[in-house]
Amino acid sequence: MWFTRRSVIFILAGVPLLAAALILTFSPTQATESASNPLPQEADNEACFACHATPGMQTTLSSGEALYLTIDRETFLASVHGQLGYACVQCHKNISGFPHPEIQAPTHRDFTLQLYTVCADCHRDKYDETLDSVHQQALAGGNKNAAVCTDCHGAHDTMPPGEPRSAIPQTCERCHSQIYDLYKSSVHGAALIEDGNPDVPSCTDCHGVHDVEGPSNSPFRLFSPQICAKCHADATLMDKYGISTDVFDTYVSDFHGTTVVLFEKLAPDQETNKPVCIDCHGVHDMQQVDDPESTVMKENLLSTCQKCHPDASANFPSSWLSHYEPSPTQAPLVYFVNLFYKILIPVVIGSMLIFVVADGTNRILRRRKERRNA
Amino acid sequence: MPEKQVKHLRFSLPERIEHWVLVTSFSTLALTGLIQKFADGAVADSIIGLLGGIETVRHIHRVAAVVLMLETVYHLGIISYKLFVRRVRPSMLPTLADVRAAIQAFRYNLGQGKVKKPQQGRYTFEEKIEYWAVVWGTMIMAITGFMMWNPIATTRILPGEVVPSAKAAHGGEALLAVLAIIVWHVYHVHLRHFNKSMFNGHLSEEEMLEEHPLELADRKAGVAERPIDPRSFSRRRRLFIPVYAVCAALLIFGIVAFVSFEETAIETIPPAEDVVVYTPLTATPLPSPLPIEPASATLPTSWDDFAALFEVKCAMCHSGETAMSGLDLTTYQSVLEGGASGPAINPGDAENSLIVIRQSAGDHPGQLSGEELAALRQWIDEGAPEK
Repeated sequence: MWFTRRSVIFILAGVPLLAAALILTFSPTQATESASNPLPQEADNEACFACHATPGMQTTLSSGEALYLTIDRETFLASVHGQLGYACVQCHKNISGFPHPEIQAPTHRDFTLQLYTVCADCHRDKYDETLDSVHQQALAGGNKNAAVCTDCHGAHDTMPPGEPRSAIPQTCERCHSQIYDLYKSSVHGAALIEDGNPDVPSCTDCHGVHDVEGPSNSPFRLFSPQICAKCHADATLMDKYGISTDVFDTYVSDFHGTTVVLFEKLAPDQETNKPVCIDCHGVHDMQQVDDPESTVMKENLLSTCQKCHPDASANFPSSWLSHYEPSPTQAPLVYFVNLFYKILIPVVIGSMLIFVVADGTNRILRRRKERRNA
Repeated sequence: MPEKQVKHLRFSLPERIEHWVLVTSFSTLALTGLIQKFADGAVADSIIGLLGGIETVRHIHRVAAVVLMLETVYHLGIISYKLFVRRVRPSMLPTLADVRAAIQAFRYNLGQGKVKKPQQGRYTFEEKIEYWAVVWGTMIMAITGFMMWNPIATTRILPGEVVPSAKAAHGGEALLAVLAIIVWHVYHVHLRHFNKSMFNGHLSEEEMLEEHPLELADRKAGVAERPIDPRSFSRRRRLFIPVYAVCAALLIFGIVAFVSFEETAIETIPPAEDVVVYTPLTATPLPSPLPIEPASATLPTSWDDFAALFEVKCAMCHSGETAMSGLDLTTYQSVLEGGASGPAINPGDAENSLIVIRQSAGDHPGQLSGEELAALRQWIDEGAPEK
């Protein structure tokens, strides 16, 4: 009879799968970062490909949505997991033979959301990092579109991350296409996407990778100048492009920067209305400072200031010294006021000290003399 | 029996209150100002933290500045009253005699034998230096403070660079003032001899003789204060009170303007970028994988086509000697023969062909697509011709 014969298939296809499942259960491999210890091929992926390599295989989920079941064998074998010989059932853990358990997920997305946590079996550290991320927060808040592991890394076609580096912004683009469009026109984005420049930041350099933070929350905003400083205060890196590394120090020594740094140190979760780098330079579309489109270009600076200082007039922007240290040529008035006090303070206080020390010494000497005479 | 200690009133109670208001506002300004000037230091940071953060520190600084400005308005009134109504001697004005006294004091302190200690009056040159330093400092601080408090108004008239220059001067002047207080005031009033006249108002006879011998002599001679003609005094007072009231009102109006001249910045943070964060390229974050279509776009119509299809989808189980259920789907003959359950196809009757029945259930491994199954039905219904 069919049903008893069916058990033959079960044995044929199921034995290797079951064996694999048992082996996996009793010798768990905590693959790390590089997953350098691939499993021996006890689990025969070919048993899966026997059906799942068949073109056009699909099933219909309860929502009516189609779930495609065909896996391209070559693509999987070329992926990081395929190359290292990982077994299908290491991720598809509930499958140990045929027939497979029924898929409960009503939609393709639900299916993904049920399966992706399996990544944590081997990549626990990365998975734990994602738990603090803005994506996980959105997911916990009921947003099923929030990105999970496989949305960025792929499922059957996982490749080493960041190769080429332009793949990073292009991955983020899938959900953040407007931001990507701004980024690719920026001085950083153009250099990465068009020229493959390894020095410029991609998305993850500023936002973090697995623990990507919401950019509008206070700690991120307050810390952001130090993200910029990572590169912009690095002399060896900036020398290549002839960019000054004074930008961070001059920012911090000014009213805006002083405030932001103090908030960052003392009350990182409180908001301050003082600007950080991106408030003046732009966020994803920042341009070189000599670009006519740059928000900090002299012609555009007033309107940039007016975002926070609506009443500001033409002279106002030059009250900010444009990241220059005062010198006889740059901001001479500030330079000479500083110089004036650098001379005045020692002269006045020095004179006072001389006078006071003379008075004190004289008093002590006279008192001694009086005591001797008495 | 010891003679009763003679006390000389040096500062009246209102003068002492003034002094302590000044001490309080100056110290507050110095503390809250210097921690801003040296905000990159650990000590400054912990004080800022204790005071409740930088915005609170700035708030305290500004309140103390207003207290100092109000005290200045009061002080101007008091000295005008003394000079114009009571007609006291302007004993705080620096004179050439003070320059000579300073030189003499220095030479005396250096021990130049014949030089005697200078004899000074109500205010010594040390005190005058300090008083006028406070006057100068307060003026500088008020002007530069106004510029920082109202940078937009300032830059309507003056070049922008004036604002950071004002900040530089405000900080430099602050450092100068604090250091001068530490060196000059602390030495002369507390270290050299602890002068209690700002606490109890009095100096002893010995202290007067030591520090203000000329004033003491005047007091003894009864000429320390000018005689007052009661009629002209009350006339001057009647005139002074309304004039001062107007001036004080104007000055206080000035302070209010100082404080509320402009709204320098908005309270909120304008959005740094006008962008919609979530703008997916496709409906789901990762595009659903597209169905991988069979290599041949055309549907099978003949046995040869079906042989190729079965080879791909069925031969894994249903071929050769180990064929599952005895069903071998690799040759035309073996398909007609079928397996343990009977013939796989019933030519001319697709509905009653086992292969169609099994495949229609939809859960057979090596599932044919809907189109393939339809083509298979048609082929069987047409009699399943081999050629």
